[in-house]
Amino acid sequence: MPSKFWRDRIVILDGAMGTELQKWGLPAGADPVLWSLDHPDVLAAIHREYIEAGSQIIYANTFGANARKLARSGRSVDQVVAGAVAIARQAAVGTGVKVALDIGPLGELLEPLGTLTFEAAYEQFREIALAGERAGADLAVIETMTDLYEAKAALLAVKENTSLPAFVTMSVEESGRTFTGCTVQSMARTLEGLGADAIGLNCSLGPDQLAPLLAELCQNTRLPVIAKPNAGLPDPADGHYDMGPEDFAAAMLPCLEAGAAILGGCCGTSPEYIRKLREAVTGLEPVQRVYEPVSFVCTPVCPCRIDGVRIIGERVNPTGKKRFQQALLENDLDYILDVAVQQEDAGADILDVNVGYPGVDERTMLPRVVKHLQSAVSLPLQLDSSDSAALEAGLRVYNGKPAVNSVNGEPEVLERVLPIVKKYGAAVVGLTLDKGGIPQTAEGRVAIARRILDAALSYGIPKEDVWIDCLTLTVSAQQDQARETLKAVRAVTEELGLKTVLGVSNISFGLPNRPLITQNFLIQALGAGLALPIVNPNQREMLDAIAAFKALSGEDGGCMAYVERFAGWKAPAPGGAGSGPAKPAASKAVDTLEDAILRGLKEDAGRLAKEALLTEDEFSLVEKRLIPALDRVGEDYEAGKVFLPQLLSAAQAAQAVFEVIKMSIAEKGAAPMKKGRLILATVHGDIHDIGKNIVKTVLENYGYEVVDLGKDVPPETVVEAAVRENIRLVGLSALMTTTLPAMEETIRQLKSLPHPPTVMVGGAVLTPEYAAKMGADYYSKDAKQSVEIARKVFGA
Amino acid sequence: MKIDIDDALRYAGLRGAAPEESRREMELIAGELERKLTPRFAWRACELDRGDAGIALRGTGVVLTGTLAERMLADCRIACLLIGTAGSRFDALLRAEQARDMARAILMDGCGSAWAEAVCDEAEREIAARFPDLYLTDRFSPGYGDLPLDLQAAVCAALDAERRAGVHVTDSLLMVPVKTVTAIVGLSDRPQGTRIRGCAYCDLRETCAIRKGGTTCAV
Repeated sequence: MPSKFWRDRIVILDGAMGTELQKWGLPAGADPVLWSLDHPDVLAAIHREYIEAGSQIIYANTFGANARKLARSGRSVDQVVAGAVAIARQAAVGTGVKVALDIGPLGELLEPLGTLTFEAAYEQFREIALAGERAGADLAVIETMTDLYEAKAALLAVKENTSLPAFVTMSVEESGRTFTGCTVQSMARTLEGLGADAIGLNCSLGPDQLAPLLAELCQNTRLPVIAKPNAGLPDPADGHYDMGPEDFAAAMLPCLEAGAAILGGCCGTSPEYIRKLREAVTGLEPVQRVYEPVSFVCTPVCPCRIDGVRIIGERVNPTGKKRFQQALLENDLDYILDVAVQQEDAGADILDVNVGYPGVDERTMLPRVVKHLQSAVSLPLQLDSSDSAALEAGLRVYNGKPAVNSVNGEPEVLERVLPIVKKYGAAVVGLTLDKGGIPQTAEGRVAIARRILDAALSYGIPKEDVWIDCLTLTVSAQQDQARETLKAVRAVTEELGLKTVLGVSNISFGLPNRPLITQNFLIQALGAGLALPIVNPNQREMLDAIAAFKALSGEDGGCMAYVERFAGWKAPAPGGAGSGPAKPAASKAVDTLEDAILRGLKEDAGRLAKEALLTEDEFSLVEKRLIPALDRVGEDYEAGKVFLPQLLSAAQAAQAVFEVIKMSIAEKGAAPMKKGRLILATVHGDIHDIGKNIVKTVLENYGYEVVDLGKDVPPETVVEAAVRENIRLVGLSALMTTTLPAMEETIRQLKSLPHPPTVMVGGAVLTPEYAAKMGADYYSKDAKQSVEIARKVFGA
Repeated sequence: MKIDIDDALRYAGLRGAAPEESRREMELIAGELERKLTPRFAWRACELDRGDAGIALRGTGVVLTGTLAERMLADCRIACLLIGTAGSRFDALLRAEQARDMARAILMDGCGSAWAEAVCDEAEREIAARFPDLYLTDRFSPGYGDLPLDLQAAVCAALDAERRAGVHVTDSLLMVPVKTVTAIVGLSDRPQGTRIRGCAYCDLRETCAIRKGGTTCAV
């Protein structure tokens, strides 16, 4: 393809294909891609009409030509793509018009929204991209995406397997978010980072609703911007769009004004719309755009501009935390998620994620943890590893724009890590150290920072994506170094114009009243320009200090956040403990562990368990107090005196007790308490897993160890896990009649093992009779009954 | 849009008199969802063609078979397909809540069901306003009575549900996002009296906890 002809000029795309095909006789309910291949003259005629109307890029009719949608057609992706691209190319012969391979959504939601894995989506897109390049497409257009994760899979597939330029457009609602909640900012900065050649918006809205969203998009990208809106809004009754060609063309001018320069139409438009559009923009030039570089990371739903102080939570890290180490070794991802959730709730803006520990394969663990955290935490992540392969594996599956922690001034490290940072469009933290260690002077550290910045720029990483960590040393050991760190923070901020990152807690090591020293150092560092403090968000003193700093610096406009944080604050009683946000009114006095569990009071249960462990051992605490209390709630539930939410509250209070017990056992280095291990899975094809999760919560809090295989689990996976883990009890859940055959098949396979496990089943459409007919050993009508079954099977 | 708290509590399995604290919590959750979710629905009106295979919705490829559809649409020349969903944002919120507080997640789950129904009510109001001279039948859905569940894919395709509502149908005929309802509602010149709602039409009648408790969910 000749030079990047879509830059710095107005380019006209084509309009709708589906409605045009209907005009030419596409029957209702027929597949437009397959039908058009059987009517090549019609397809060619439509392409030619668009070319005559002024289109400079036409989209081959390949939207939706993917393996899943073609599965029952008897045709391969290669055949369909080759056919459609060939017809478009033929229509464009001699016109100079470019032909785009059109890549639409796969029609199946990716994890965690659905069950399609990122890797499987990538493979499908790869097949399409390769077929498109072979067929002679000039570029690839990924369009109508509503899930940024899917757009990423498609974009990577095009970039890694072809040399085609890649345009990406997504569909947003008037709120400025896609159906999956992705913001315009997150979309723009993630896709630009991943190497898209042009980005924009298509479908879902008319040009007048799209213009303000395009303006926002243009502020967040340096790339050429595409606008391909619908012909207004459809009448729900008949699907007819309300805007005529003249009005459409007129309404496109504000889109041009907003900064878009690659223009076309989507649903409801026709060659006439494109003709009017071309006439309307003839003689016009793209507008001069103003892009403001800003340090930025995001998930689709949570954009994070670093234009003030942003807190990086440090707790997802095994260093010095036995319970976390144990969770890593046992693959207990839910524990890690819980640590992350607590930090999000405490007020972190970004979470650092480090899973490096002896005996843990970071290259498989980091991507798994990234996926698991992103299923329930909305904050952006900072992937923290010294293993570049692990970093790449994590960056690949990350949804959004992440940060990488870290590189340093060592040339080998920079060469190894920066290309990955560039490829995945991440921000990167540079530590001011090198082979010679940490320079003892601020000047020395700034010199390394400068080197890191130069190296990053040479790889094409923009300046705002380089963050510098000037490193905190322990003040009790090297007293002069606190000052040097602060000096370096100021110099990197002011002289180099870079954002700085700093882990502050090290400063107070070895001193009494550590929070006081740490808080003071944090405040001074913020004063010196620190933008990204790495702290434990659960440590109130640190977040209080940051809240006060933001009020004083003016970042917290009207001191609103400060006032909210300290609403109801009361001066501490003389001689009492320090300041802080008001605690919620204390609950009615809880004296016994049993009472705390019955009333579902987590914090009280944890506190009372700690006290109890002073006089009791872990085993007797569980068997003599915890379980009987849970049983009482269970009986009340059976009797209809309490409901499922209360049963679960009690179970969660028990969970707090178990956490205390696990911590105590981990600290002692003793063998974990094990009552019995079982598998839970929602069967293949089924995605409703709240029922299974309820059963899991209750079973775990009776002390059983649950291997949770998740939802949509193929029978083979259940069998394989049962054999590998030597499992005696398997629980299967299904919600719909359509997934009962998958349950039956799973049972059949389990029962054909040489030592078949006991199988219990549950789910809304199941009956005891049907369960027996399928060969299940037990029908479990609810979570409480599953505990009874586990007791029978494990004898405890 | 307002969520009906009683509906939400019932969907969450709190039959009879729910504890006051559950009701309060549910009100908080409903408020949170009302702030965060956008009602999202789509509908389409079709003329009906009666044939040997069943009742075809013209221009869609959807053919309704069985006695339920026949009875429901007996007086109708037109019917609407409609879809209402709490959206994938709800799924994400529910997943996040399950990682935090399972007891609260159960309430939120019920709230999502109530929201999806409320969205369908909203769609029905829009339909009624668009056809002021016609009367709506009760809405009924694939999987109800003898109306086959495997219509789901064709109904969603006819509504262009992926693009217009962000809804996908899996190979096992489940809809994602999970709190999604598709339905058919007939339009007639005469007021419609047929009541299809009730346990006799429900697939869950054999195992339904509410029914065993001696009451009904009133859907």
